[in-house]
Amino acid sequence: MVASIVPQLVPAFYSLMYTTVLYGGLIVAFIGLIGIAMEKRDIQVLILTDIVGLAMLIIVAAVGTDLSEALILPGLVVELAEIMAISEILISHEMRKKDVHTSFTPIPLNIDMEIMTTAPNFIALLLIGYGVFLSGFTGGAVAGGGIVIYVLSRKVRGLPVVVLDGVGAISGISWCLWIIGFLFFFILPQYWLLSLFLAALGLLLKVASKIGLIGIMMREEYGRK
Amino acid sequence: MLIENLGGNLMGTIPLGDIVLYLNSLHIFLFVTILVFTALIAISRTETQVEAMFGSLDENKVSVGKKEFKQRRFLAIICGIATAGAMITGDLFNFTLFMALIGIVNIGIVSAVKHVDVLNSAYQYGLIAMMCGLPLFGGAAMILAATGTLSLFELAAIPASPMMIFGALVMLIGVCGESGIAPFFASKAEMFRTPGSPFILIIHLSSLFIIVRFVEILLIIL
Repeated sequence: MVASIVPQLVPAFYSLMYTTVLYGGLIVAFIGLIGIAMEKRDIQVLILTDIVGLAMLIIVAAVGTDLSEALILPGLVVELAEIMAISEILISHEMRKKDVHTSFTPIPLNIDMEIMTTAPNFIALLLIGYGVFLSGFTGGAVAGGGIVIYVLSRKVRGLPVVVLDGVGAISGISWCLWIIGFLFFFILPQYWLLSLFLAALGLLLKVASKIGLIGIMMREEYGRK
Repeated sequence: MLIENLGGNLMGTIPLGDIVLYLNSLHIFLFVTILVFTALIAISRTETQVEAMFGSLDENKVSVGKKEFKQRRFLAIICGIATAGAMITGDLFNFTLFMALIGIVNIGIVSAVKHVDVLNSAYQYGLIAMMCGLPLFGGAAMILAATGTLSLFELAAIPASPMMIFGALVMLIGVCGESGIAPFFASKAEMFRTPGSPFILIIHLSSLFIIVRFVEILLIIL
Protein backbone atom coordinates (compact mmCIF):
# COMPACT_ATOMS: atom_id res chain seq x y z
CA MET A 1 0.00 0.00 0.00
CA VAL A 2 1.33 3.45 -0.84
CA ALA A 3 2.45 5.19 2.33
CA SER A 4 1.26 8.65 1.32
CA ILE A 5 -2.44 7.70 1.17
CA VAL A 6 -2.49 5.92 4.52
CA PRO A 7 -3.69 8.28 7.27
CA GLN A 8 -1.24 9.16 10.04
CA LEU A 9 -3.35 7.60 12.80
CA VAL A 10 -2.96 4.10 11.34
CA PRO A 11 -0.02 2.34 13.07
CA ALA A 12 2.84 1.55 10.72
CA PHE A 13 2.59 -2.13 11.67
CA TYR A 14 -0.84 -2.45 10.04
CA SER A 15 0.07 -0.71 6.82
CA LEU A 16 3.18 -2.88 6.53
CA MET A 17 1.03 -5.99 6.94
CA TYR A 18 -0.66 -5.35 3.60
CA THR A 19 2.02 -6.92 1.39
CA THR A 20 2.30 -9.95 3.66
CA VAL A 21 -1.45 -10.54 3.61
CA LEU A 22 -1.57 -10.05 -0.15
CA TYR A 23 1.09 -12.70 -0.67
CA GLY A 24 -0.67 -14.92 1.86
CA GLY A 25 -3.92 -14.67 -0.10
CA LEU A 26 -2.17 -15.42 -3.38
CA ILE A 27 -0.47 -18.47 -1.85
CA VAL A 28 -3.80 -19.75 -0.52
CA ALA A 29 -5.33 -19.29 -3.97
CA PHE A 30 -2.40 -21.09 -5.56
CA ILE A 31 -2.78 -24.04 -3.20
CA GLY A 32 -6.48 -24.18 -4.08
CA LEU A 33 -5.69 -24.12 -7.80
CA ILE A 34 -3.14 -26.92 -7.44
CA GLY A 35 -5.83 -28.94 -5.68
CA ILE A 36 -8.29 -28.27 -8.50
CA ALA A 37 -5.72 -29.29 -11.10
CA MET A 38 -5.04 -32.61 -9.36
CA GLU A 39 -8.61 -33.55 -8.42
CA LYS A 40 -10.82 -35.40 -10.87
CA ARG A 41 -14.15 -35.81 -9.05
CA ASP A 42 -16.60 -32.99 -9.79
CA ILE A 43 -17.84 -32.49 -6.26
CA GLN A 44 -14.31 -32.21 -4.86
CA VAL A 45 -13.40 -29.65 -7.51
CA LEU A 46 -16.40 -27.60 -6.48
CA ILE A 47 -15.37 -27.67 -2.84
CA LEU A 48 -11.79 -26.78 -3.68
CA THR A 49 -13.00 -23.84 -5.78
CA ASP A 50 -14.35 -22.36 -2.60
CA ILE A 51 -10.78 -22.07 -1.30
CA VAL A 52 -9.99 -19.74 -4.20
CA GLY A 53 -13.07 -17.73 -3.24
CA LEU A 54 -11.82 -17.48 0.35
CA ALA A 55 -8.44 -16.29 -0.94
CA MET A 56 -10.31 -13.53 -2.77
CA LEU A 57 -11.84 -12.46 0.56
CA ILE A 58 -8.35 -12.38 2.14
CA ILE A 59 -6.94 -10.19 -0.63
CA VAL A 60 -9.86 -7.76 -0.47
CA ALA A 61 -9.85 -7.70 3.33
CA ALA A 62 -6.13 -6.88 3.35
CA VAL A 63 -6.92 -3.32 2.26
CA GLY A 64 -9.00 -2.79 5.37
CA THR A 65 -10.93 0.38 4.51
CA ASP A 66 -14.69 0.85 4.43
CA LEU A 67 -14.67 0.64 0.63
CA SER A 68 -12.94 -2.73 0.79
CA GLU A 69 -15.53 -3.89 3.30
CA ALA A 70 -18.13 -2.80 0.79
CA LEU A 71 -16.34 -5.05 -1.73
CA ILE A 72 -16.18 -8.00 0.67
CA LEU A 73 -19.93 -8.21 1.21
CA PRO A 74 -20.92 -8.62 -2.44
CA GLY A 75 -17.87 -10.80 -2.97
CA LEU A 76 -19.04 -13.18 -0.27
CA VAL A 77 -22.62 -13.12 -1.60
CA VAL A 78 -21.42 -13.76 -5.14
CA GLU A 79 -19.32 -16.72 -3.99
CA LEU A 80 -22.24 -18.20 -2.09
CA ALA A 81 -24.65 -17.65 -4.95
CA GLU A 82 -22.26 -19.17 -7.45
CA ILE A 83 -21.50 -22.21 -5.33
CA MET A 84 -25.24 -22.78 -4.90
CA ALA A 85 -25.93 -22.36 -8.59
CA ILE A 86 -23.09 -24.67 -9.59
CA SER A 87 -24.08 -27.36 -7.11
CA GLU A 88 -27.62 -27.12 -8.48
CA ILE A 89 -26.22 -27.66 -11.96
CA LEU A 90 -24.16 -30.59 -10.71
CA ILE A 91 -27.23 -32.22 -9.15
CA SER A 92 -29.37 -31.86 -12.25
CA HIS A 93 -26.44 -33.02 -14.38
CA GLU A 94 -26.03 -36.20 -12.35
CA MET A 95 -29.78 -36.82 -12.45
CA ARG A 96 -29.86 -36.49 -16.22
CA LYS A 97 -26.96 -38.90 -16.47
CA LYS A 98 -28.81 -41.63 -14.56
CA ASP A 99 -31.63 -42.22 -17.05
CA VAL A 100 -29.75 -42.57 -20.30
CA HIS A 101 -31.87 -42.12 -23.38
CA THR A 102 -30.98 -40.30 -26.56
CA SER A 103 -33.63 -39.54 -29.14
CA PHE A 104 -30.92 -38.38 -31.50
CA THR A 105 -29.93 -41.56 -33.34
CA PRO A 106 -28.23 -40.85 -36.65
CA ILE A 107 -27.95 -43.47 -39.36
CA PRO A 108 -24.67 -43.68 -41.29
CA LEU A 109 -24.35 -41.21 -44.07
CA ASN A 110 -24.22 -42.33 -47.68
CA ILE A 111 -22.97 -39.76 -50.14
CA ASP A 112 -22.22 -41.15 -53.59
CA MET A 113 -21.56 -38.03 -55.59
CA GLU A 114 -19.09 -37.84 -58.42
CA ILE A 115 -17.46 -34.74 -56.96
CA MET A 116 -16.29 -36.77 -53.99
CA THR A 117 -14.21 -39.14 -56.08
CA THR A 118 -12.94 -37.09 -59.03
CA ALA A 119 -10.87 -34.19 -57.72
CA PRO A 120 -11.80 -33.47 -54.12
CA ASN A 121 -8.26 -32.71 -52.99
CA PHE A 122 -7.82 -30.06 -55.66
CA ILE A 123 -11.13 -28.42 -54.77
CA ALA A 124 -10.28 -28.50 -51.08
CA LEU A 125 -6.86 -27.00 -51.74
CA LEU A 126 -8.41 -24.29 -53.91
CA LEU A 127 -10.97 -23.45 -51.24
CA ILE A 128 -8.36 -23.31 -48.46
CA GLY A 129 -6.03 -21.19 -50.60
CA TYR A 130 -8.81 -18.79 -51.51
CA GLY A 131 -9.89 -18.66 -47.85
CA VAL A 132 -6.40 -17.73 -46.70
CA PHE A 133 -6.28 -15.07 -49.40
CA LEU A 134 -9.60 -13.61 -48.24
CA SER A 135 -8.73 -13.83 -44.49
CA GLY A 136 -11.12 -12.72 -41.79
CA PHE A 137 -14.54 -14.23 -41.21
CA THR A 138 -15.41 -15.00 -44.85
CA GLY A 139 -12.01 -16.54 -45.46
CA GLY A 140 -12.43 -18.74 -42.41
CA ALA A 141 -15.78 -19.98 -43.67
CA VAL A 142 -14.38 -20.76 -47.14
CA ALA A 143 -11.27 -22.51 -45.78
CA GLY A 144 -13.40 -24.46 -43.31
CA GLY A 145 -15.60 -25.58 -46.20
CA GLY A 146 -12.46 -26.83 -47.91
CA ILE A 147 -11.51 -28.86 -44.82
CA VAL A 148 -15.00 -30.37 -44.64
CA ILE A 149 -14.89 -31.40 -48.31
CA TYR A 150 -11.48 -33.01 -47.78
CA VAL A 151 -12.68 -34.97 -44.73
CA LEU A 152 -15.92 -36.03 -46.45
CA SER A 153 -14.14 -37.15 -49.59
CA ARG A 154 -11.72 -39.32 -47.64
CA LYS A 155 -14.63 -40.80 -45.76
CA VAL A 156 -16.53 -41.57 -48.98
CA ARG A 157 -13.50 -43.17 -50.64
CA GLY A 158 -13.00 -45.32 -47.60
CA LEU A 159 -9.62 -43.87 -46.69
CA PRO A 160 -8.70 -43.32 -43.04
CA VAL A 161 -9.54 -39.83 -41.83
CA VAL A 162 -6.72 -38.16 -39.98
CA VAL A 163 -8.30 -37.07 -36.74
CA LEU A 164 -6.97 -33.78 -35.50
CA ASP A 165 -7.89 -33.66 -31.86
CA GLY A 166 -6.07 -30.37 -31.44
CA VAL A 167 -8.46 -28.48 -33.72
CA GLY A 168 -10.34 -27.10 -30.74
CA ALA A 169 -7.08 -25.81 -29.30
CA ILE A 170 -6.23 -24.05 -32.56
CA SER A 171 -9.59 -22.37 -32.41
CA GLY A 172 -8.93 -21.19 -28.87
CA ILE A 173 -5.43 -19.90 -29.54
CA SER A 174 -6.56 -18.06 -32.63
CA TRP A 175 -9.34 -16.42 -30.66
CA CYS A 176 -6.62 -15.22 -28.28
CA LEU A 177 -4.82 -13.73 -31.30
CA TRP A 178 -8.00 -11.96 -32.23
CA ILE A 179 -8.47 -10.53 -28.74
CA ILE A 180 -4.82 -9.42 -28.59
CA GLY A 181 -5.22 -7.69 -31.95
CA PHE A 182 -8.35 -6.01 -30.66
CA LEU A 183 -6.57 -4.75 -27.52
CA PHE A 184 -3.58 -3.53 -29.58
CA PHE A 185 -5.94 -1.49 -31.73
CA PHE A 186 -6.86 0.60 -28.72
CA ILE A 187 -3.65 0.57 -26.73
CA LEU A 188 -1.00 0.84 -29.44
CA PRO A 189 -2.74 2.45 -32.43
CA GLN A 190 0.57 3.00 -34.23
CA TYR A 191 0.78 -0.79 -34.79
CA TRP A 192 -2.62 -0.88 -36.48
CA LEU A 193 -1.40 -2.98 -39.39
CA LEU A 194 -0.04 -5.66 -37.05
CA SER A 195 -3.23 -5.72 -35.03
CA LEU A 196 -5.34 -5.84 -38.19
CA PHE A 197 -3.43 -8.89 -39.40
CA LEU A 198 -3.55 -10.51 -35.96
CA ALA A 199 -7.30 -10.06 -35.91
CA ALA A 200 -7.81 -11.19 -39.50
CA LEU A 201 -5.62 -14.30 -39.22
CA GLY A 202 -7.00 -15.16 -35.80
CA LEU A 203 -10.54 -14.98 -37.13
CA LEU A 204 -9.57 -17.00 -40.23
CA LEU A 205 -8.09 -19.81 -38.14
CA LYS A 206 -10.93 -19.69 -35.67
CA VAL A 207 -13.75 -19.93 -38.18
CA ALA A 208 -11.90 -22.50 -40.29
CA SER A 209 -11.25 -24.73 -37.32
CA LYS A 210 -14.83 -24.24 -36.09
CA ILE A 211 -16.14 -25.62 -39.37
CA GLY A 212 -13.50 -28.33 -39.17
CA LEU A 213 -14.98 -29.22 -35.81
CA ILE A 214 -18.26 -30.12 -37.50
CA GLY A 215 -16.38 -33.04 -38.97
CA ILE A 216 -15.32 -34.19 -35.52
CA MET A 217 -18.85 -33.80 -34.21
CA MET A 218 -20.15 -35.95 -37.07
CA ARG A 219 -17.64 -38.60 -36.11
CA GLU A 220 -18.99 -38.51 -32.57
CA GLU A 221 -22.54 -38.93 -33.87
CA TYR A 222 -21.42 -42.00 -35.83
CA GLY A 223 -19.83 -43.40 -32.73
CA ARG A 224 -23.07 -43.03 -30.84
CA LYS A 225 -25.23 -45.00 -33.35
CA MET B 1 -5.20 9.00 -19.72
CA LEU B 2 -7.66 11.85 -19.65
CA ILE B 3 -11.32 11.01 -19.68
CA GLU B 4 -11.93 13.80 -22.20
CA ASN B 5 -9.79 12.00 -24.78
CA LEU B 6 -11.80 8.79 -24.64
CA GLY B 7 -15.26 8.10 -25.95
CA GLY B 8 -16.12 11.56 -27.25
CA ASN B 9 -16.79 14.81 -25.40
CA LEU B 10 -17.86 14.79 -21.79
CA MET B 11 -21.55 15.64 -21.59
CA GLY B 12 -21.74 16.08 -17.86
CA THR B 13 -21.39 14.41 -14.50
CA ILE B 14 -24.00 13.07 -12.09
CA PRO B 15 -22.50 13.37 -8.61
CA LEU B 16 -24.21 10.93 -6.24
CA GLY B 17 -22.14 11.61 -3.16
CA ASP B 18 -19.02 9.50 -3.40
CA ILE B 19 -20.03 7.96 -6.70
CA VAL B 20 -19.65 10.29 -9.67
CA LEU B 21 -21.26 9.13 -12.87
CA TYR B 22 -20.08 10.78 -16.04
CA LEU B 23 -21.68 10.70 -19.43
CA ASN B 24 -20.06 10.75 -22.83
CA SER B 25 -21.19 9.72 -26.26
CA LEU B 26 -19.61 6.23 -26.16
CA HIS B 27 -21.28 5.34 -22.87
CA ILE B 28 -24.66 6.62 -23.95
CA PHE B 29 -24.42 4.71 -27.22
CA LEU B 30 -23.48 1.44 -25.49
CA PHE B 31 -26.11 1.97 -22.80
CA VAL B 32 -28.95 2.64 -25.23
CA THR B 33 -27.94 -0.22 -27.53
CA ILE B 34 -27.91 -2.80 -24.77
CA LEU B 35 -31.23 -1.50 -23.42
CA VAL B 36 -32.82 -1.77 -26.87
CA PHE B 37 -31.57 -5.36 -27.12
CA THR B 38 -32.90 -6.13 -23.65
CA ALA B 39 -36.30 -4.72 -24.63
CA LEU B 40 -36.31 -6.87 -27.77
CA ILE B 41 -35.46 -9.93 -25.70
CA ALA B 42 -38.15 -9.08 -23.16
CA ILE B 43 -40.90 -9.10 -25.79
CA SER B 44 -39.63 -12.05 -27.82
CA ARG B 45 -40.53 -15.72 -27.57
CA THR B 46 -38.12 -18.62 -27.65
CA GLU B 47 -37.36 -20.34 -30.87
CA THR B 48 -38.01 -24.01 -31.35
CA GLN B 49 -34.71 -25.59 -32.16
CA VAL B 50 -34.85 -27.89 -35.15
CA GLU B 51 -32.08 -30.42 -35.43
CA ALA B 52 -31.66 -32.02 -38.83
CA MET B 53 -30.98 -35.72 -38.65
CA PHE B 54 -28.07 -37.21 -40.50
CA GLY B 55 -28.90 -39.26 -43.54
CA SER B 56 -32.66 -38.79 -43.52
CA LEU B 57 -35.16 -36.00 -44.05
CA ASP B 58 -36.54 -36.22 -40.51
CA GLU B 59 -36.06 -33.50 -37.97
CA ASN B 60 -35.94 -33.33 -34.24
CA LYS B 61 -37.73 -30.40 -32.59
CA VAL B 62 -36.63 -29.17 -29.20
CA SER B 63 -38.87 -26.57 -27.59
CA VAL B 64 -38.78 -24.87 -24.22
CA GLY B 65 -41.48 -25.29 -21.58
CA LYS B 66 -43.42 -22.29 -20.29
CA LYS B 67 -41.95 -22.30 -16.79
CA GLU B 68 -38.42 -22.59 -18.05
CA PHE B 69 -39.17 -19.87 -20.60
CA LYS B 70 -40.35 -17.43 -17.92
CA GLN B 71 -37.36 -18.10 -15.68
CA ARG B 72 -34.94 -17.69 -18.53
CA ARG B 73 -36.56 -14.49 -19.75
CA PHE B 74 -36.31 -13.01 -16.27
CA LEU B 75 -32.62 -13.87 -15.99
CA ALA B 76 -31.92 -12.58 -19.51
CA ILE B 77 -33.53 -9.23 -18.63
CA ILE B 78 -31.47 -9.03 -15.43
CA CYS B 79 -28.36 -9.78 -17.45
CA GLY B 80 -29.24 -7.02 -19.94
CA ILE B 81 -29.83 -4.49 -17.18
CA ALA B 82 -26.59 -5.44 -15.42
CA THR B 83 -24.70 -5.01 -18.69
CA ALA B 84 -26.34 -1.64 -19.24
CA GLY B 85 -25.32 -0.62 -15.73
CA ALA B 86 -21.74 -1.68 -16.38
CA MET B 87 -21.77 0.44 -19.52
CA ILE B 88 -22.79 3.70 -17.86
CA THR B 89 -21.12 3.43 -14.47
CA GLY B 90 -18.30 5.79 -13.57
CA ASP B 91 -17.04 3.70 -10.71
CA LEU B 92 -14.82 0.65 -10.73
CA PHE B 93 -16.67 -0.67 -7.69
CA ASN B 94 -20.01 -0.76 -9.51
CA PHE B 95 -18.38 -2.25 -12.58
CA THR B 96 -16.97 -5.11 -10.48
CA LEU B 97 -20.35 -5.84 -8.96
CA PHE B 98 -22.17 -5.72 -12.29
CA MET B 99 -19.55 -8.05 -13.74
CA ALA B 100 -20.06 -10.56 -10.92
CA LEU B 101 -23.83 -10.34 -11.41
CA ILE B 102 -23.48 -11.04 -15.13
CA GLY B 103 -21.37 -14.08 -14.29
CA ILE B 104 -24.02 -15.57 -12.01
CA VAL B 105 -26.92 -14.78 -14.33
CA ASN B 106 -25.13 -16.41 -17.27
CA ILE B 107 -24.91 -19.65 -15.31
CA GLY B 108 -28.55 -19.29 -14.30
CA ILE B 109 -29.79 -18.91 -17.87
CA VAL B 110 -28.49 -22.32 -18.89
CA SER B 111 -28.85 -24.12 -15.56
CA ALA B 112 -32.38 -25.40 -16.27
CA VAL B 113 -31.47 -27.06 -19.54
CA LYS B 114 -32.06 -30.76 -20.08
CA HIS B 115 -28.93 -31.54 -22.13
CA VAL B 116 -26.12 -33.22 -20.24
CA ASP B 117 -23.48 -31.65 -22.50
CA VAL B 118 -24.80 -28.16 -21.85
CA LEU B 119 -25.02 -28.78 -18.11
CA ASN B 120 -21.46 -30.06 -18.12
CA SER B 121 -20.27 -26.95 -19.90
CA ALA B 122 -22.30 -24.69 -17.58
CA TYR B 123 -20.63 -26.45 -14.66
CA GLN B 124 -17.16 -25.84 -16.07
CA TYR B 125 -18.01 -22.22 -16.83
CA GLY B 126 -19.34 -21.80 -13.29
CA LEU B 127 -16.09 -23.09 -11.83
CA ILE B 128 -14.07 -20.70 -14.01
CA ALA B 129 -16.36 -17.81 -13.07
CA MET B 130 -15.91 -18.63 -9.39
CA MET B 131 -12.15 -18.85 -9.64
CA CYS B 132 -12.06 -15.60 -11.58
CA GLY B 133 -13.89 -13.89 -8.75
CA LEU B 134 -10.43 -13.79 -7.16
CA PRO B 135 -8.67 -11.70 -9.85
CA LEU B 136 -11.78 -9.58 -10.39
CA PHE B 137 -12.31 -8.49 -6.79
CA GLY B 138 -8.61 -8.82 -5.95
CA GLY B 139 -7.62 -6.53 -8.82
CA ALA B 140 -10.17 -3.94 -7.75
CA ALA B 141 -8.86 -4.21 -4.17
CA MET B 142 -5.25 -3.75 -5.37
CA ILE B 143 -6.20 -0.61 -7.28
CA LEU B 144 -8.01 0.58 -4.15
CA ALA B 145 -4.92 -0.14 -2.05
CA ALA B 146 -2.66 1.73 -4.45
CA THR B 147 -4.81 4.81 -4.90
CA GLY B 148 -7.38 4.96 -2.11
CA THR B 149 -10.27 5.41 -4.53
CA LEU B 150 -12.25 3.44 -7.08
CA SER B 151 -13.84 6.39 -8.86
CA LEU B 152 -12.76 6.40 -12.50
CA PHE B 153 -12.92 10.18 -12.49
CA GLU B 154 -10.20 10.33 -9.85
CA LEU B 155 -8.25 7.33 -11.15
CA ALA B 156 -7.88 9.17 -14.46
CA ALA B 157 -6.06 12.01 -12.70
CA ILE B 158 -3.65 9.76 -10.77
CA PRO B 159 -0.52 8.75 -12.73
CA ALA B 160 -0.21 4.98 -13.05
CA SER B 161 2.05 3.27 -10.54
CA PRO B 162 3.27 -0.35 -10.94
CA MET B 163 0.75 -1.48 -8.32
CA MET B 164 -2.12 0.08 -10.28
CA ILE B 165 -0.94 -1.50 -13.53
CA PHE B 166 -0.66 -4.89 -11.83
CA GLY B 167 -4.12 -4.50 -10.30
CA ALA B 168 -5.61 -3.52 -13.65
CA LEU B 169 -4.02 -6.50 -15.42
CA VAL B 170 -5.21 -8.87 -12.70
CA MET B 171 -8.66 -7.41 -13.10
CA LEU B 172 -8.45 -7.97 -16.87
CA ILE B 173 -7.96 -11.69 -16.17
CA GLY B 174 -10.99 -11.57 -13.88
CA VAL B 175 -13.18 -9.87 -16.48
CA CYS B 176 -12.07 -12.34 -19.16
CA GLY B 177 -12.96 -15.27 -16.93
CA GLU B 178 -16.27 -13.94 -15.67
CA SER B 179 -17.50 -13.07 -19.14
CA GLY B 180 -15.92 -16.21 -20.60
CA ILE B 181 -13.93 -14.69 -23.49
CA ALA B 182 -10.73 -15.81 -25.20
CA PRO B 183 -8.61 -18.00 -22.92
CA PHE B 184 -11.62 -19.26 -21.00
CA PHE B 185 -14.14 -19.55 -23.81
CA ALA B 186 -13.87 -23.33 -24.13
CA SER B 187 -15.84 -23.72 -20.94
CA LYS B 188 -18.64 -21.63 -22.36
CA ALA B 189 -18.82 -22.64 -26.02
CA GLU B 190 -21.08 -25.65 -25.54
CA MET B 191 -23.62 -23.52 -23.68
CA PHE B 192 -24.79 -22.02 -26.96
CA ARG B 193 -26.20 -25.32 -28.10
CA THR B 194 -29.08 -24.78 -25.71
CA PRO B 195 -32.52 -24.36 -27.25
CA GLY B 196 -34.21 -21.02 -26.57
CA SER B 197 -32.20 -18.70 -28.72
CA PRO B 198 -32.90 -15.04 -27.85
CA PHE B 199 -32.11 -15.58 -24.20
CA ILE B 200 -28.89 -17.37 -24.95
CA LEU B 201 -27.78 -14.47 -27.14
CA ILE B 202 -27.61 -12.09 -24.20
CA ILE B 203 -24.74 -14.17 -22.77
CA HIS B 204 -22.68 -13.47 -25.84
CA LEU B 205 -23.81 -9.89 -26.23
CA SER B 206 -23.01 -8.97 -22.64
CA SER B 207 -19.47 -10.36 -22.90
CA LEU B 208 -18.87 -8.38 -26.11
CA PHE B 209 -20.07 -5.14 -24.55
CA ILE B 210 -18.16 -5.76 -21.33
CA ILE B 211 -14.84 -6.21 -23.12
CA VAL B 212 -15.31 -2.94 -25.04
CA ARG B 213 -16.12 -1.10 -21.83
CA PHE B 214 -13.26 -2.71 -19.94
CA VAL B 215 -10.73 -1.69 -22.57
CA GLU B 216 -11.88 1.87 -21.97
CA ILE B 217 -11.51 1.46 -18.22
CA LEU B 218 -8.05 -0.04 -18.70
CA LEU B 219 -7.03 2.99 -20.76
CA ILE B 220 -8.37 5.34 -18.10
CA ILE B 221 -6.44 3.57 -15.34
CA LEU B 222 -3.14 3.13 -17.19
